[in-house]
Amino acid sequence: MGDRPADRHTTSTFHGTNVSRSHGACPEPGGLAPLFCVQNLWYAYPDGIQALSGVDLDILPGDRMALVGQNGSGKTTLIKLLSGLLAPAQGTVCFKGRALTGDHLDESRLGIGVLFQDPDDQLFGHTVMDDVAFGPGNQGKSRKTAILYARQALHQVNLEHLAYKEPHNLSYGQKKRAALAGILAMQPGVLILDEPTANLDPGQEAVFLDLLKGFAGTLICISHDLIFLYELCEKAVVLHKGGIHHKYTMRELVSRRSSLRDHGLDFSFRLCTPANGVHAHEEDKKNGSETRSNEYAKILAEPSAHPSLVRLEKYRYVYPDGTPGLQDFSLDIHEGEKMAIVGENGAGKSTLLACLCGLRQGRGTLFFGGTPVTRKRYKNLWRRVGLVFQDCADQLFCASVQEEMLFGLRRLGLSSDECRHRAADTLARVGLAGFENRVPLHLSGGERKRLALGCVLAMDPDLLILDEPTAGLDPRGEELLMAILETFDKTLLLVSHDLFFIEKLTHRTLVMHQGRVIGDLPTPVFMQDDKLCNLNGLSFSYRQRTTTAIQKLQHEHEHRHPHLHIHDHPHHHGRTVHTHPHEHLHDHPHRFVHTHPGGQKNHDHANRLVHDHAHPGHDAEPHDHSHE
Amino acid sequence: MTDVHHIQVPLWYLPLLVLIPAAVAAGVVPWLGRRARTRVVPEKDPDWSIPPLADSHGQGISLIHRWDVRCKIVTMLAYSFAIASLRHLSAAAAALCVSLVVLLAAKVSFHKVLLRVFALAGFLGMLLVVMPLTVPVHPGDTILVFGSLDWLNVNLRGVVLAATIAAKAMAIALLMEPLLSTAPLPVTLHGLSRLGVPDMAGQMVLLSYRYLHVFTHEARRMTAGMQARGFEKKTNMATLRALANFLGMIFVRSFERTERVFDAMQARGYNGRFPDPGHLQIQWLDILQTGVWVAAGTALVLFDYVKV
Repeated sequence: MGDRPADRHTTSTFHGTNVSRSHGACPEPGGLAPLFCVQNLWYAYPDGIQALSGVDLDILPGDRMALVGQNGSGKTTLIKLLSGLLAPAQGTVCFKGRALTGDHLDESRLGIGVLFQDPDDQLFGHTVMDDVAFGPGNQGKSRKTAILYARQALHQVNLEHLAYKEPHNLSYGQKKRAALAGILAMQPGVLILDEPTANLDPGQEAVFLDLLKGFAGTLICISHDLIFLYELCEKAVVLHKGGIHHKYTMRELVSRRSSLRDHGLDFSFRLCTPANGVHAHEEDKKNGSETRSNEYAKILAEPSAHPSLVRLEKYRYVYPDGTPGLQDFSLDIHEGEKMAIVGENGAGKSTLLACLCGLRQGRGTLFFGGTPVTRKRYKNLWRRVGLVFQDCADQLFCASVQEEMLFGLRRLGLSSDECRHRAADTLARVGLAGFENRVPLHLSGGERKRLALGCVLAMDPDLLILDEPTAGLDPRGEELLMAILETFDKTLLLVSHDLFFIEKLTHRTLVMHQGRVIGDLPTPVFMQDDKLCNLNGLSFSYRQRTTTAIQKLQHEHEHRHPHLHIHDHPHHHGRTVHTHPHEHLHDHPHRFVHTHPGGQKNHDHANRLVHDHAHPGHDAEPHDHSHE
Repeated sequence: MTDVHHIQVPLWYLPLLVLIPAAVAAGVVPWLGRRARTRVVPEKDPDWSIPPLADSHGQGISLIHRWDVRCKIVTMLAYSFAIASLRHLSAAAAALCVSLVVLLAAKVSFHKVLLRVFALAGFLGMLLVVMPLTVPVHPGDTILVFGSLDWLNVNLRGVVLAATIAAKAMAIALLMEPLLSTAPLPVTLHGLSRLGVPDMAGQMVLLSYRYLHVFTHEARRMTAGMQARGFEKKTNMATLRALANFLGMIFVRSFERTERVFDAMQARGYNGRFPDPGHLQIQWLDILQTGVWVAAGTALVLFDYVKV
């Protein structure tokens, strides 16, 4: 493993221009030989889907590169080709100067670590130790040495104490770390990661971040989470429809909102969360918090307008193996409430959801709509409670989107016309109109999530429960989901680690720990309570820091000051209309992106005298400058 | 050639000899099932930082744990065939006793043993009920006739035959636990491979064992997803259609997972062979243990032979 030359990368080789490198130009400017040299790479899957078209890319030793783009843009295909798991249909992938084929491919695989998205795909060993020692064993190390390497890697990911546990008995976060240990044990020079933090809670995410920051080799990381990638990677390659659209530095990428938006990566809507400690939208934050506090107070003050929908009294649930799920749990949810449940993994959140929608039955009293839920009524809770799973693939099993929508509606006993009517309405509501004949399994992650939500919304539940709705979604998917949920006017229960969604959608937050409620407070109050956040593994310090930094880069607000425009547009001079580049001085308000000194400090923009921004109607304005 | 003996017993013996054991079995089998399915969380989580089948000194926790896996497989399989060849109840009962002693000596999980017993109990119970009533009557057989119920003849030879089969089956089934649980699965499969079983078969067993759990979890989550939208099993076309979709989806997801697993294996240098889980070497103690087992098996067969 080589040391990472952090200051080797210059923006001159990676900047915001469309890629137009000539084929065969392997050596990088500066004379450094690329580790990976991808030339004119094309790949199509057997079903005809063109995944990559004409990709050219050089990756230098020690690079830390983010591969970003919308779902289906070809990111995963590219890393499979980089790791030799797929063979190019056309073009070449060279590693250390030689094409990835034959013996060189076999050798190279032992030095390229690939972490896949689903850890269950990667943990095929009988125990964690067997699995982690698999790679070193294939590298030709003796069993004893392989175990030594495996132990070191497990120590790195803090799983040494679970070395001989069977993978299926690990939690999701532990599995993900064990999978990473399996890669680290091979001491690879290159680490390729596919959505490394998908579905992880912030505590586990922090462990990953520390490990990856300390990795000394070449790092290539696919993620939709640019906030996570910001400090981890220095370069960013934007893929779009199988081609490379941009090569940026990471700082450039996050500061270019228009480019982010073009590629469905604009996460800027997240940057105004009160939890991030940024004060650019101080007024909005204050107003929003007050509104949500008022909503909560109003619900509590008007019990007749908002009667109790769900009430649990001393409710207990014990798993068949004796593990307590819920212990003396009491809870009152009023009609129309928007409520969040937070807690560390294993706090009992999913158990509670399963009890609320009748999938599990514990001991104690459960009232729904004011009436006690008997054993028989448990079976019918699904009629009034809608649950959207964390992994929505678990609730999509029909052959077409239309069938999927109709599945629950038919069980409600509705007429065929009503079923079709509701299905069409809801598909339009979740932005999937026209998808009726598509196969759910072939939809993108965001589309599947919206379909799962649509299936539940169509049934018109009194209580909508969402379990980690943002898990695995790209920013555009998140934004669409947010827009749908903001229009939902019934009772909402949101289980999430995502403080932005909690803050935006709920006005009450329940904090769970070891199957008990340890906090029940208005969401704005919860947001300010660092102790509660930390107790539940919701450590957001990295995100707060990164968000602040990105927001400074993206800072945009309206200014009025004299500035120059350089135009190239048709404009009128009397009866003459013509086009040519020209510049002139204006004094008018406009928005533009610029760095900000931070806090409430004043700043001027005299040094940014030339601005490029939209200027509607300008071409019709009279011009007083002379023309040749 | 001797005649068939008919023993007339009062009718009230019927509940005593048939119904009460049947009722007891009807109570015991579900209890066994419940116990077998209920996993009890140990008060103290085991120390997972060391191999679960070794003590702190790196030695096995019993003689059978320390036995070379190849010797263990060959010997126990041969011993099982010896048990299967027994023809007398007394010899089969002796074999069952030996198995119980081995179980205790091997210190295997009582819960897992219960699972095996439960899996066999239904089948053997049925055998014990049906065979006495259905075996063909041979000269010299003793038939119990309950009161005036001439049609209900219990053949004692059938009872002994069923008991012999049950004892032999149970004796062999109980041995499977010490055979399979006293070494990690990869080591056992490695031993099989060294004995000539194709590598591919061992790898398939290993991966199947791992992914059975993953698919079970997936199926459970999908079932919950269906139930959350009102699915209830009924005898109608809608249920059949839903189950067909469910099975199809499980199959498709499993197929896609196998491709991803293979990719992940290749990415870590898999070239058709799993790394050896350890070096196997036969010691004198292994040969001694093998000798003891061979002696026990021979003794059982001789005992059975002498009974003739």
